[in-house]
Amino acid sequence: MSPQVAGQIELLGQVLISGILLGGLYALIGLGMSLIMGVMKIINLAHGELMMVAMYITYGMFTLWKVDPYVSLLVVCPAMFLLGIAIQKFLITPVMNADSVLPQNQVLLTVGIGLVLSNLALLLFTANYRSVPVSYASKTIYWDVKAGGQTISLSFSYPFLVAFGIAVFLGAALFLFLGMTDTGRMIRATAQDKRAASLLGINTKRITYITFGLGAALVGAAGALLDPVYYLYPQIGGPFTSKAFVITVLGGLGNIPGAVLGGLVLGLAESLGSVYVSLGYKDAFGFIIFVLVLIFLPKGLLGKGRA
Amino acid sequence: MTIRRMFVAIAVAAAATFSATPLLAQAKSFTVGVPLPLTGAEAKFGEMEKQAYDMAVEEINAKGGIKGVKLALDIQDSGGKPETATAIVEKFIGTNKYPIVVGEYSSQCSYAVAGVAEKYKVPYLVVTGAADKITQEGWKYVYRLNPPASLYNLGVFGFFENVAKPKTIAILYENTDFGNSTSKAMKEYCDGHGVSVVLSEGYQAGGVDFKPILQKVKSLRPDIVYMVSYLMDASLLMRQSKELDLNAQAFIGGGAGHTLPEFLQNAADASELCMSATLWTPQAKYPGAKEFFDNFKKKFGKEPDYHGVEAYAATYVLADVLKRAKTATPEDLRAALASTDLTTAFGPVKFVSWGKFTNQNKMETLVLQVIKGKYETVWPPEAATAKYVYPVPRWRDRK
Amino acid sequence: MTKSLAAALLSVAALALLPLFVSNTYVLHMLVMVLLWVLLGQSWNLLGGYTGQVSYGHAAFFGVGAYTTAIMVKSGLSPAMAWWGLLLGGILAALVGSVLGWICFRLRGPYFSLSILALSEVLRLIAVNWKDLTNGAEGILYIPAFNSKAAYYWIILALAAVSFLTIRAVMRSKFGFYFLAIREDQDCAESLGINTTKYKLYSLLISAFFTGVAGSFYMNYMGFIDPGIVFSLPDISIMMILCTMLGGAATMEGPAVGAVLYILMSEAFRVFLKSGHLLFFGILIIVIIIFFPQGIVGTLRERWAGRRLRAASPGISKEVA
Repeated sequence: MSPQVAGQIELLGQVLISGILLGGLYALIGLGMSLIMGVMKIINLAHGELMMVAMYITYGMFTLWKVDPYVSLLVVCPAMFLLGIAIQKFLITPVMNADSVLPQNQVLLTVGIGLVLSNLALLLFTANYRSVPVSYASKTIYWDVKAGGQTISLSFSYPFLVAFGIAVFLGAALFLFLGMTDTGRMIRATAQDKRAASLLGINTKRITYITFGLGAALVGAAGALLDPVYYLYPQIGGPFTSKAFVITVLGGLGNIPGAVLGGLVLGLAESLGSVYVSLGYKDAFGFIIFVLVLIFLPKGLLGKGRA
Repeated sequence: MTIRRMFVAIAVAAAATFSATPLLAQAKSFTVGVPLPLTGAEAKFGEMEKQAYDMAVEEINAKGGIKGVKLALDIQDSGGKPETATAIVEKFIGTNKYPIVVGEYSSQCSYAVAGVAEKYKVPYLVVTGAADKITQEGWKYVYRLNPPASLYNLGVFGFFENVAKPKTIAILYENTDFGNSTSKAMKEYCDGHGVSVVLSEGYQAGGVDFKPILQKVKSLRPDIVYMVSYLMDASLLMRQSKELDLNAQAFIGGGAGHTLPEFLQNAADASELCMSATLWTPQAKYPGAKEFFDNFKKKFGKEPDYHGVEAYAATYVLADVLKRAKTATPEDLRAALASTDLTTAFGPVKFVSWGKFTNQNKMETLVLQVIKGKYETVWPPEAATAKYVYPVPRWRDRK
Repeated sequence: MTKSLAAALLSVAALALLPLFVSNTYVLHMLVMVLLWVLLGQSWNLLGGYTGQVSYGHAAFFGVGAYTTAIMVKSGLSPAMAWWGLLLGGILAALVGSVLGWICFRLRGPYFSLSILALSEVLRLIAVNWKDLTNGAEGILYIPAFNSKAAYYWIILALAAVSFLTIRAVMRSKFGFYFLAIREDQDCAESLGINTTKYKLYSLLISAFFTGVAGSFYMNYMGFIDPGIVFSLPDISIMMILCTMLGGAATMEGPAVGAVLYILMSEAFRVFLKSGHLLFFGILIIVIIIFFPQGIVGTLRERWAGRRLRAASPGISKEVA
């Protein structure tokens, strides 16, 4: 094997690794959105801002008490769960009950909530860029493969690996929760047909609180996991909201394995596209795949779960 | 009418037309409008510049102001949007009747504001907007304190010619006005000096993972990796280069992101030995440079970078212009601005025209290198505070 | 001529006289912005409010309109000639609209909303990356043709009035009833023999045309654009929806009320509240949506109608919308 061929193999291998690991994080962002869209059929435009809040909580715990971001998940997730419930209970539910020409009121409401959250963060934390400088931020595990007299050296970022693992774990836990527990079944029933669910005696209002809470907790987890590898500032949410849409629709609304798959597809599309087509169009690949899936596989990549 | 009475008259008129802000309570002040991004993604820089402006105004007024008249700045939030910035400047000129405009942060906003100022024939001092075209339109009322983006690299070019003599280079830049201008200048230089550009790609700011493209750079084995990043992408690029064990003779930033104090914190050991073009360092041998840096740090608890000192120096240029202007009309202020010859904490300020540029301050730019976790000036030799490290050791060989 | 039409024409005439009394350029600038957003809100309202196809991607049409004019000037036309871009921008925007509609109308509800959002983002990325055509992120700038704000004011007033009258006429024609039928129940409309895809497309074409005209005007007026401004999801697409919904979707006056509210309140907040202004704007949005779920015009109208009805026949309240 010539060094050139080895170099190309190394490039492809590294691109796939990066795409999959990043996809794990994306999946976690998408899971929360998928759940919320599946149950409530609303587009949550404050999703990225919720992630931002979680990132600031993680940042605060790290700088004040040196709490490791992975440990702070134990605080961040419950806190975001409560915040989600509060938003749903005091803001979104009252609007959902009101009769309106278009069902878009809740969506605009989330625009307002997003503005409030990001600008509160601006006032509280200023516009400065923050980071959580953990010791393992750029820790890397190398894997050298010898083949045909050449060495192919692949690297795995430690924080991305951990994030991937936790994302898979949370995705699986959520899947089991929705499939095995009563509350989970009630959430699924509400997603399928809210009216029928309430006729069967399900307190659908309570279910929407729990759903929004779970969605917020999941994106909160993504925020905490992103902290060691990224940076944060008050306006960080926006681009992640649109990524979450893409992932959700790729997987099908409310479809948990679908959202994980959607995250992986987006991660891979971005990393492969940026190397083999053009870096400038990196973000376009996700959107194009998104539209293609919408048109040709309207039920998402896994083909079910759309009410 | 003396200049003081002129100031008073204008201040009274401004106070009358804009009674909602009680800034101009006493008629003994002269107000200048400054649009800045205080919200939005660029707010960090807006904030730093606002603090620097306020600090300079305080100092100037403590020393008696401008011939006894107090200087005041009417700083308004543009959110980093050219649309809002132009609306603000329309108001400065149309309603508040401010005869001179200073400020803005990004190239986009500065360019848009310059268009408005030129239209109304009101002088505008650009402070940090770097895209070349801002002073290439042949505009008469637009003056720029900072060098244009294509000259940010002068120091780097000197370093290339005298030390590095690279054969290949990979260029990654943020897809913004500043990124495009700076990388274009680098590419043109390389094409003209026999340096082969093996890759040149723009990216959207805010990406999480640059590893795929960095791996591609790695497979091309360039001598130099050159990056233009406005914001924190700079630290991600370096961190991920280290993770991938991407090695080059030198990693060089085009300014902005690579000169932020946050870069050192966030990139940590991955920032070590990274170089960057810069306009200014606190060790610069200009009167007041170090004082500015120390005072700013003491007052606001954080380090300013060159954007801060540009705002600070711009205020002094403004004070100097007001002192020398015959009257406070836009025309006389423009004339005074044109004949500026002042040494500030940022460096010498003099507006000249050459080539396609008009009314442009020309200055030497420096090259920084992170050595033992601190920014040191390494080029040109007469300004150096430390000896450059070149080529840099491979990541795996360090420590 | 009906009473409401007379009222509308009278208010346009009164507004047209305004620059004779107001010479402050800043005030005129704010009025131009209000009218621009009236135009944008109305355009969105036709497709989103009346036809029920909620688009999150109208920035695509705004951007195409703006870039049409910008590229005309960039390739050597004088800024005065660039006013032809108004028409051309509208037409190109409608063409892009027909392509987007062809793709996205296969989908319904939130899927339509999201797919058009995705395609408008793709257009933004094309504008950033196709540097030969658009100058990329550097944007395009020229000194606009007129110095006088009044000229722009009259032009945008005329455009807003034309769009108002057009949309009003459309909504009173057969088309309008089809649009409403599609919004209320697409399957039902289909079963009644309405070719829903065709009529949704008509609605989109008119909507995209006026949005493109607005974009083209924006370029002529501001003299500077870049892809991040005119293809912006938060600043154009979302704000168009916000403007309409705050005022009252599917009402003729709603977008106008929404535009006044959006432009004047956000400017007032910006001036008086300094860096907290967006926070308060967010709170304002939340408050309006909670207390005026049909938008200001829609909700007030509903209350008045309800009061009148209740006075006439106690017991009926909610069924009037």
